[in-house]
This record gives sequence, C-alpha cells and structure tokens, in this order.
Amino acid sequence: MSIIVQNLVKEFEGKKVLDDISFTVNSGETLGVVGFSGSGKSTILKLICGLLYADSGKIQTTKGDIAMTFQYSALFDFLNVFENISFPLVERPEFKGKYSKKDLERIVAENLKILGLKDIEDKYPSELSGGMQKRVSFARAIVTKPSIILYDEPTAGLDPVSSTIIEDYIVSLKNELNATCMVVTHQLSTIKRATDKIIMLYKGKIVFKGTTEEFLKAENPYAKQFIDAAIEGPMDILQED
Amino acid sequence: MSEYSLKNTLSYRFLRQSAKDWKDFLVTFGNIGKDFNRVIKYILRLEIDANKLIEQSSRFAFDSLPITLTIVSMTAIIISMQISPELVKQGGGNFIGMMSAIVMTRELSAIMSGFAIISMIGSSFASELASMSVTDQISAMKVLRVDPVKYLIVPRVTAGFIMMPFVVILSSFVGLFFAGLVANITAGVSALNFTTSMWQGLFIKDIMVMLLKSAFFGGAIALISCSCGYSTRGGAKDVGISTTKAVVWSFLAIAFLDWIFAILFYM
Ligand SMILES: Nc1ncnc2c1ncn2[C@@H]1O[C@H](COP(=O)(O)OP(=O)(O)OP(=O)(O)O)[C@@H](O)[C@H]1O
Ligand SMILES: [Mg+2]
Repeated sequence: MSIIVQNLVKEFEGKKVLDDISFTVNSGETLGVVGFSGSGKSTILKLICGLLYADSGKIQTTKGDIAMTFQYSALFDFLNVFENISFPLVERPEFKGKYSKKDLERIVAENLKILGLKDIEDKYPSELSGGMQKRVSFARAIVTKPSIILYDEPTAGLDPVSSTIIEDYIVSLKNELNATCMVVTHQLSTIKRATDKIIMLYKGKIVFKGTTEEFLKAENPYAKQFIDAAIEGPMDILQED
Repeated sequence: MSEYSLKNTLSYRFLRQSAKDWKDFLVTFGNIGKDFNRVIKYILRLEIDANKLIEQSSRFAFDSLPITLTIVSMTAIIISMQISPELVKQGGGNFIGMMSAIVMTRELSAIMSGFAIISMIGSSFASELASMSVTDQISAMKVLRVDPVKYLIVPRVTAGFIMMPFVVILSSFVGLFFAGLVANITAGVSALNFTTSMWQGLFIKDIMVMLLKSAFFGGAIALISCSCGYSTRGGAKDVGISTTKAVVWSFLAIAFLDWIFAILFYM
C-alpha cells in the first residue's frame, strides 16, 4: 500500500503545471503537499486517482481503493446525507445488493459519529454548513475502506476546532486502515498535526522534500518563506508566466 | 512590428475566430459521438437502472406536458384559424380535418413537441450535469468508481427515447381537438364533418413514422443535452455556455433528423 511517483509531467494547454515530480509515500504515512495557489497540488491528486492522465512519467499505486476528498466537498446535491454516504455501497456494481438497508443505516451512522455528526441523514447538502459538508464528504470517501486516501484542502475555510477534529480524524483513520495518505493544505496546523512528510511545489517543481520536522525547522528558504508567510523570499508571489 | 499589425487585421481575426469555432464544433461533435457510443453499449446490454429510468421518464414526459400541449395546441389553433375560413370559402370545408391530420402527424406535433421538450427538459439536463461537473460531483462519482455515464446519462437518454412518442401522440390528439374546435368556431365546420375528414387524413404509415421519429428526437435531445452538460469545465459562466450550446445543438439535431426522416419515408 504505497504511492510511487516518478518523473511526472503534466501540461495544460502547453503550460507545464507539473515538471519532473518524483516522490514516494509508504503505507501508514501521510504526505503533505504545500505550495501557492495554482502550483499544481490538486492536479497531482487528480493524476494519482486517475481523473487526469500524465503527459509523461509513472505513477504506481498498490492494489486497493483510492479515495479522494475534494476542495469544495463535491457532495451530490440531489441526494441527502444518507444517500451520499451510502452511494458507493449502493451504486458500485460489485456492491449492488450486498448491503441491507439496516446495514447501511448502521454504517452511515457510525461514520457520521466518528466525525462528530449525528441525526443529519435526512438533510440535503445545501442545508449543511461548509464544515459539515466537508465532513460528510469524508465519510462518503472512506466508506469503502480505501487503502489510499487523498485529501484536497481538508481544513480550508474551517474554524480551528473543526480543523482539529478533521486533523485528528485523518490521523486516526490512517492508523485504523494502515492507509497511504496525501493531504494538500495551506494550513500550518494541519501540517503539524496530520502529516509525516512534506513536499513543497513552486512553478511545477519540488522545492522542498523532507519530514514535517525538517519543514517546520525552516532551514530551507522556501519552507521558511511559507512558514513565515513572507512576501520576500525565493518565491515570487506575483508569478508571471 | 509587422507581425503585430498583421495580427490586428480584420481578416486575420476573422480567420482565427472561424478556426476556433470550427474546433469548438468538432470537439462538441466528438463529445456527443463518444457519449453516444458509451450510452448505446449500456442500453444494448440492458444495463439500465429501472428506478432511475422511471424517475427520469416521469420527469421527461409529465413535467414538460403542460408546455408541450400548450405549444402544439396553439400552433394547431392558429393554423386552423387561418385556413379554415379560406378553405370553406373555396368549397374545401370537407378537407379541413384531413389537412389538419396530415400536417399534425407528418410534421407539426413532433417538431413542436421537440422544441418544447428542448426548452423544458434539454436545458435542465444540460445545466444540471454542467453544474455537477464544475462542482466536481462528476469527478467524485468517478473516484467512487460509479460510472457517471451509466448513472446519469443512460437513464435520461432511455427515458427520452421511450417517452417522447407518448408525448407526441398525446399532443397530436390535443392539437387535432383544438384544430377541430377552431374550425367549428371560425368556419362553422361541424364536429362530424371534421372527424370524418380527419380519419381520411390519418394514415398508419404517418403515425408510425411520427412515433419512430419522435423516439429519435427524444433520444437525441437527451443525449445532446447530457453530453454538453457532462463535458463542461470551468465555472458558472461555462454552465450557461453549455446550456445554450445544448439547446442550439438539440434544435439543429431535430431539424436535421426531421429532414432525414422526410427523405427516408416520403421521397
Ligand atoms: N482542466 C484544466 N485545464 C486547464 N488548466 C488547468 C486545468 N486544471 C488545472 N489547470 C491549471 O493548472 C494549474 C494548477 O492547478 P491546480 O488546481 O492543480 O492548482 P492548486 O495548486 O490546487 O491551486 P489551489 O491552491 O488554488 O487549489 C493552474 O494554473 C490551473 O489553471
Ligand atoms: Mg487545488
């Protein structure tokens, strides 16, 4: 259960968004991906879960389900919370008819409980707050017990307490499933609490690769600029290209 | 400098825009073809979810019915209003029912119902799928290993193909009823006269062709609308663009199909 990425290149309309990216994540490990907006973080996750195809390079993932949570939840707005979370168990061809209504109710309630939610099964996504939508989308993503979990900005736009709930959840879920995880984030709290290693992207390249401790020591000038939230530094915020 | 001025000439910009339009056209055409291919595979294997088919069928047929019946009836009323007094004056009062029947079954009820369905159902299919796509709901579905083509598009296209003939046959009846009523009011054509004449204008062949044609109209409208929505990328503005595209392409498609059916069956 691991992810191995080698010499990954992805272009959009002639512009190299990812240029020769290599890294590995082992099972039981969480890799944090940081970088400015537009640096290709979401693109990496989409390549790994097969939503996009690479122009060159190799992605190897060991067998098992890959789950991904999206930056803006991506809950099905025509289904209620119960139907959203049970969606893969009900609709995936290999699971069709395998779970009774009772099973599903139990599984959904359990998953909601771990995320600090209850009695919202009948609500529609538009009736939930952003943080609740995010948590419901996590429950939906992991209901099939995936071996690889990719989180795209799981804590963006959440209050500190909700963030902590989610960070702890990412860690405990990883331990429970012995999963391989990647977390795209801009938040230092998430980096500190939920990741083991970090890669940092800038202009399509990896400019920092190391453990979270090394990252937080800020000896790398790129890491330092990110942590200090400094305008001055090796990275030009007003990227022109 | 010279390059700069060349790029500013009207003809350069015109050619460039035309090239872009052509590319858009081909891309849309390709998307529709690709989606058709995937949809037809599921349909031929009869992998159609019954519940979703029923849900989409009722939406396709019943939600649009008030608009469809109104548009078809209004067309029938106006035509009858225009020709009934003239025909009666020329001594052709006995042909009004027959003419109405021929006009309705061969052309009007299918195409007018098609227009109504495009505006009611096609546009909603397109905007629905487009907004799902730009909010990553379709990507999420793929990651959850549920094929969005099977889950979203197959039931809609099947519903369109199955339900459109019902919509059209119903709207023909209602249209003919109003045509007769108006012929009676404006030209004094009796109900008996109208119906007797009408029966002479209803040919089995016309009705069969009408039903077949409308099934293809319904399938095409649903497929094109879903495909345009499904392939949307970007944001709210692109949802609008895709919806417009779905409507325009559906209009063109049924006009084209209508022509093909006319050639196949009436030449
Ligand atoms: N489908 C696409 N077509 C064209 N360009 C794209 C597409 N997806 C992403 N891009 C471009 O690729 C670049 C990287 O996008 P990506 O979404 O991966 O950034 P990100 O690092 O996740 O940014 P953010 O922090 O804002 O989420 C951006 O410049 C974006 O415009
Ligand atoms: Mg992103």
